[in-house]
Amino acid sequence: MSVGYLRQIYVVARWELLRTLSTMGRGVLPVAITLFILLVAASGLTAQSGLHIQDGIYRLGTDNVPAGEVIAEDGRFMVFIDSRASLLNTWDSYDLVILGSEVYVRDTEKGHAALTSLEQVFERYSAFMNVQEPDLYAAYPLWINRIYERSTIDFSATQSGQQISPIPQRDAPEPRGDVVPVATPKATVPYEPDQLRAEISRTAAQDDTISRYSQVIGQESGSGSFRTPNQLAPPLPFDSIILIFVFIFPLYFTSQFFMMSIMNERIERRGEILLSAPYHPSAIIIGKALPYFVMMVAISLILIVISSLPVNTILPLIPVIFFFLASALVIGMLARSFKELSFLSIFFSTIATSYLFFPSIFANVHVVSLISPLTLIVLEIQGDSFTLMDYLYSTSLFYLTSIILLYAGAVNFTEERLFSLHRLIPRTIEFISAGISKTYPILSVFVLGGLVIPFVFMVQLMGLVLFFNLPMPLSLLLLIGYAAVTEEVAKSVGIYALAKILPGGLTWRLVIFGSAGTALGFLAGEKLLLFATITEVTESIFGSVMFLSLQLLWMPFLLHAGCLAVVAVALKAGGFRWYIPGIILATFIHVIYNLTVIGVITL
Amino acid sequence: MKSRNVLIVTKKELGGIYAEKTIVFAILLQLFIALFSSFLMVGLTTMYDPDALAGYQGVEYRIGYVGPEGELYSIIDDRQDLGAYTMDLDVAIASLKERQLQAVVFVPETPPDAEGPVLVTLYMLQNDIQSAIVEVKMKEAFLVYEEKLRNERSDRLTLNPIRLNFPDSGGRSNYFEFVFGLLIPLLVFMPAIISAALIIDLITEEYQAGTLEILLSTPVTYGEMLWGKILACIAIVPIQSAAWLTLLAANGIVVQHPLEILLHVVAGSMIMIIIGAFCALHYRERTSAQFIFSTAVVVLIIIAMSFPYNPLNLIVRLAVGTIGSGHWILLSGFLALSLLMSLLLTRYASRISRLPQ
Repeated sequence: MSVGYLRQIYVVARWELLRTLSTMGRGVLPVAITLFILLVAASGLTAQSGLHIQDGIYRLGTDNVPAGEVIAEDGRFMVFIDSRASLLNTWDSYDLVILGSEVYVRDTEKGHAALTSLEQVFERYSAFMNVQEPDLYAAYPLWINRIYERSTIDFSATQSGQQISPIPQRDAPEPRGDVVPVATPKATVPYEPDQLRAEISRTAAQDDTISRYSQVIGQESGSGSFRTPNQLAPPLPFDSIILIFVFIFPLYFTSQFFMMSIMNERIERRGEILLSAPYHPSAIIIGKALPYFVMMVAISLILIVISSLPVNTILPLIPVIFFFLASALVIGMLARSFKELSFLSIFFSTIATSYLFFPSIFANVHVVSLISPLTLIVLEIQGDSFTLMDYLYSTSLFYLTSIILLYAGAVNFTEERLFSLHRLIPRTIEFISAGISKTYPILSVFVLGGLVIPFVFMVQLMGLVLFFNLPMPLSLLLLIGYAAVTEEVAKSVGIYALAKILPGGLTWRLVIFGSAGTALGFLAGEKLLLFATITEVTESIFGSVMFLSLQLLWMPFLLHAGCLAVVAVALKAGGFRWYIPGIILATFIHVIYNLTVIGVITL
Repeated sequence: MKSRNVLIVTKKELGGIYAEKTIVFAILLQLFIALFSSFLMVGLTTMYDPDALAGYQGVEYRIGYVGPEGELYSIIDDRQDLGAYTMDLDVAIASLKERQLQAVVFVPETPPDAEGPVLVTLYMLQNDIQSAIVEVKMKEAFLVYEEKLRNERSDRLTLNPIRLNFPDSGGRSNYFEFVFGLLIPLLVFMPAIISAALIIDLITEEYQAGTLEILLSTPVTYGEMLWGKILACIAIVPIQSAAWLTLLAANGIVVQHPLEILLHVVAGSMIMIIIGAFCALHYRERTSAQFIFSTAVVVLIIIAMSFPYNPLNLIVRLAVGTIGSGHWILLSGFLALSLLMSLLLTRYASRISRLPQ
């Protein structure tokens, strides 16, 4: 069987490859190569002339000609050089006015933004001047050697600054644990002044938007942990944005071809031939996906070699590739028309990109950043290798969701589903109901309850990234509400699908036992996955809110079953119109429960 | 070309967009981007300028100070938000690891006017938000100290850079530049890109699903079919962009010259949609057309960005009101370009329609 199965995959993969090459080959390849060359040339042009999006947003008037010339080099400022008297007359038309060496700012938000930018321009200018001083240590008399220590207690409960007392304490703190001798740091900088000079010029130039984005990869700091005060705390850590363009964008692009290939099978029932072959649906899917998978891995490897990163940087990208392909499969099977396909894929890519990108901004700052595999790449670029735990932690959800999506695709890869033209939401429900057996409905919803868990975690972790840096009580409340809605909607999916597919709708027996079964599956899945992966987040205060329900088992069971029963009863008694009110009520109960458990509401 | 037939096709396509709720996705998408960006901004401002949120005010971060009590000690301790404690290095590090301190500085006995640099060692916790905040505060203290040391050594400096005295404005603002310089042009222009992708879908679907023949067997001609679809794609652009500007205004972000911005967006989207239509007519197959189109658009956008007064920059300048009537000239230039392109497209379409399908 296994040999035959592999053979099936091979045949489909070869066929897919040949067909893609034949349709794309003739007209597309020459144009694509031309465009690619143009793209390289265009990037070169932009690197030369800079990005001109924010040109001329501030108006600045001055009678100080040398200062005006320095400022005019920054495109954001429109500099008007004029006499003091006429500047005083036209005062209101400027965001900033410089008379002599005094800077005056218009008291608007734009004025303050202009001032901030002007300060940056002058910081850069001073760095440029200072670095040319023959006596470097007169221009840069202070150097900071930044050393990071690992905390002996984990990071729980410190995000908000709660441990800092608002009242100044006069006494120096006394450590409770052991005091280990620490070597006294040296008082000299172990670098030649020329090395430091080069490093200062480099970081000063990096403030410039483009080079900040384009020089991140493959550049090590030339002066190790030594910095001038100005080089501490870089203003905005948007640098990892480049990773999206370099690594994720080509992957997304290639997955589009797979999505289209699936969609093409459905147009005019072309896939009928493929389906009538004696091949297993999963072999067809894997075979069709294989060429794209190989292509994506190859592209990533080429990019990794070009940016001279270690080869194991590919590891965090593999689950991302799986996830893109699995989603491409499901979207390709769900969409009814080309425009729906476009919108679904743009929508999916935006969300997936945000999920990957935003956490990685907080690399080095917070453990939350590890929920994105990109963070591992950021770490790798910095030269900190990641551990197996880190890898499991940031990729397991991607692996799990991809497997479940692929499974859903394989189960539904039948004539009936592929060629039906129902609307999007009914189609999605049909897809889910393929996993529900009408003979064993309760067992099915139990399994489904467990299977939705990875998706629920993904959505919830995304919420965590959104909310964790808001001020404390607000972020907790938002997170509780958000987590509750997600869980209630996810749990109700099984019952909703049952209500749709069963001829007589839900029976009261199903309302009760279905709710209990789903809740049981949900809890089991939650418990298993938490055990395996998310211990790091669960230890933080946010984790304890989100995954609150783990301390005692019967209480959360009652909660999950009860809330779901509310929705099920609403569906049974009122029909599908009552679904949303049911969800709202269930969420409300869920939130009240969570607030009670963390002690905000006392009974 | 009969305008009635064009309108019939337009109505049909708009009806399809409405029925499939695809437009809902487009709006959701933009809402999502805006939501995430603003959350991100709030988060980052909080992180880098914690005083921006009232909840953080009055908090004092504790700094272990190791070394002779000099100028740096008083700079740190005089700050409202930092408290310095003189300690031994071993004890200080142990307290830091227990999070009783937020940072430790080791200051050597180097005199301020020494030949070499003053090398201060700063110990902080790894992977910690508080460290990021404390680093910003320590940076400010270090900058003050650096300026004092530089003055001490000023007789050794040879160049005389221009100096400006900045008013104490109270807090930096990155928000404005981000919203007006990036978010607004992005959100306003997004509908143009969406519409251009849409025209490819609409045209290639007629070919691939084999519905073109049926459509052409009605009194509708090929050119009317094409322009009906293009019109539908253009029609939804200003609606989406205007919805955005209204939403932003409701959020207190008031954009100047909204009408002029919409005109520029429509002109820009005409150009994009016509390029998309060219790709679709040439390939008549979605995968190839979309692939070539999106690569071409990336190239085009990158090239446009490297010139001042590009359409995105014009929108930014209009939104902040730093452009005079000069933009009308550019607008008419863009309109003339799109008119020329549509003439070419019509000629190309009439040639294609005569070919056997």
